[in-house]
Amino acid sequence: MKRPGPLLTLLAGLVLGLFLLTLNATTGTKPASSSYQSPKPYQSPKPSASPSPTPTSTPSPAPSPSATPIPDADYAGRTDDDSAAIAVTLRDGRAIAYFCDGRAEEAWLKGPVAEDGTLRLTGKNGARLDGTLKEGKQIRGTVDVGGAHHSFTADRAKKPSGLYRATATVRGATIDGGWIVLKDGSQVGILTRDGKPSPAPRIDPETGTVTVDGQQLTARPATP
Amino acid sequence: MTVDPNAATQGFPTPSPAHGRPHPARYLVPALVAAAVALALGAYGKVHDPAGTAFNLAGFSSTGAVKSWLATAAFAFALVQVVSALMVYGRLPGPGWSGALHRWSGRAAFLVSVPVAVHCLYALGYQTYETRVLWHSLLGCFFFGAFSAKMLLLRSERLPSWLLPIVGGLVFAVFTIVWLTSALWFFRTFGVTT
Repeated sequence: MKRPGPLLTLLAGLVLGLFLLTLNATTGTKPASSSYQSPKPYQSPKPSASPSPTPTSTPSPAPSPSATPIPDADYAGRTDDDSAAIAVTLRDGRAIAYFCDGRAEEAWLKGPVAEDGTLRLTGKNGARLDGTLKEGKQIRGTVDVGGAHHSFTADRAKKPSGLYRATATVRGATIDGGWIVLKDGSQVGILTRDGKPSPAPRIDPETGTVTVDGQQLTARPATP
Repeated sequence: MTVDPNAATQGFPTPSPAHGRPHPARYLVPALVAAAVALALGAYGKVHDPAGTAFNLAGFSSTGAVKSWLATAAFAFALVQVVSALMVYGRLPGPGWSGALHRWSGRAAFLVSVPVAVHCLYALGYQTYETRVLWHSLLGCFFFGAFSAKMLLLRSERLPSWLLPIVGGLVFAVFTIVWLTSALWFFRTFGVTT
């Protein structure tokens, strides 16, 4: 006589797993998929979350209410088609942005931020980003990289999410890595070795350390 | 789920002395299934392009927190597993329903761990970029293989009496390492957040 219990347990797990997988796969392709992240601006209290402040935590200078300069802040999010991630860092009225699909396409863009919160950033090979800062909470706009046009939304990012960059020479190869750490902890990054892009290894978002070809590097928050 | 309430978890019917050694398929089938499950999960995690994002649960700040709490719940059930198994085998004094407790806490632990594994494999994939991650990926796949073997072994009778405790202990030990390299790491790195 065979007992059916254990087999039923296994089958239940299998069915549950496949169900969740299809749920993930179907929601992942919808353009609105990034919206389930945006409603919560990551307000959850994290008391003991980051005991070690990392370099960029420049305490934003108390903004004088009259001038209302663009506050220094980090923004991170995804393109509306969910094909790539994008992060923007604002410092002293200037912006640096990074577009990255995690595989082959990336672009670094720079430019000024207008008083009204408009961003017009440009990068190599005709890369271009047009965005608008909405009440300091979100940047919405479009980005043109590699002949493709994407709309994107980037929400205000809190450490450890944000934009990181590491440059170094490892065994004679010039390494240039860019990482976007999103608020769910996932990372999108590209590592370029002598101009050849490839998916980047994960960084430790707390310390910025990353091991590239056996050598440990430190990725630092990118600033304009 | 239908469960045979009379299903025994211990005290297998005494082997009829007529037959000598059990058929090798008794061990081979679970072992092969275990290997197939572990390899399939690892191969999927390696080949599939990690999506980076996946479904999140309301009320949690990140998928990492969701997974850590689910994994911790599964680990709590796993501890119940060890205690109830000791009761079933008479090593600890236990109530008559310790067998049912063992079965149902095991089911709960397994079903709670499935969403975590799905997210791992779907969003993160099989990764080897550091020691912690390598062991987590390797043993995470191994765990579901070993668990499948344990479930299938339960179905066969006349096993050597030491086999189930050994396999069960292995499943628990592997799960512990998987939990230590993920949820505990998450809580230590990001704080105990929800």
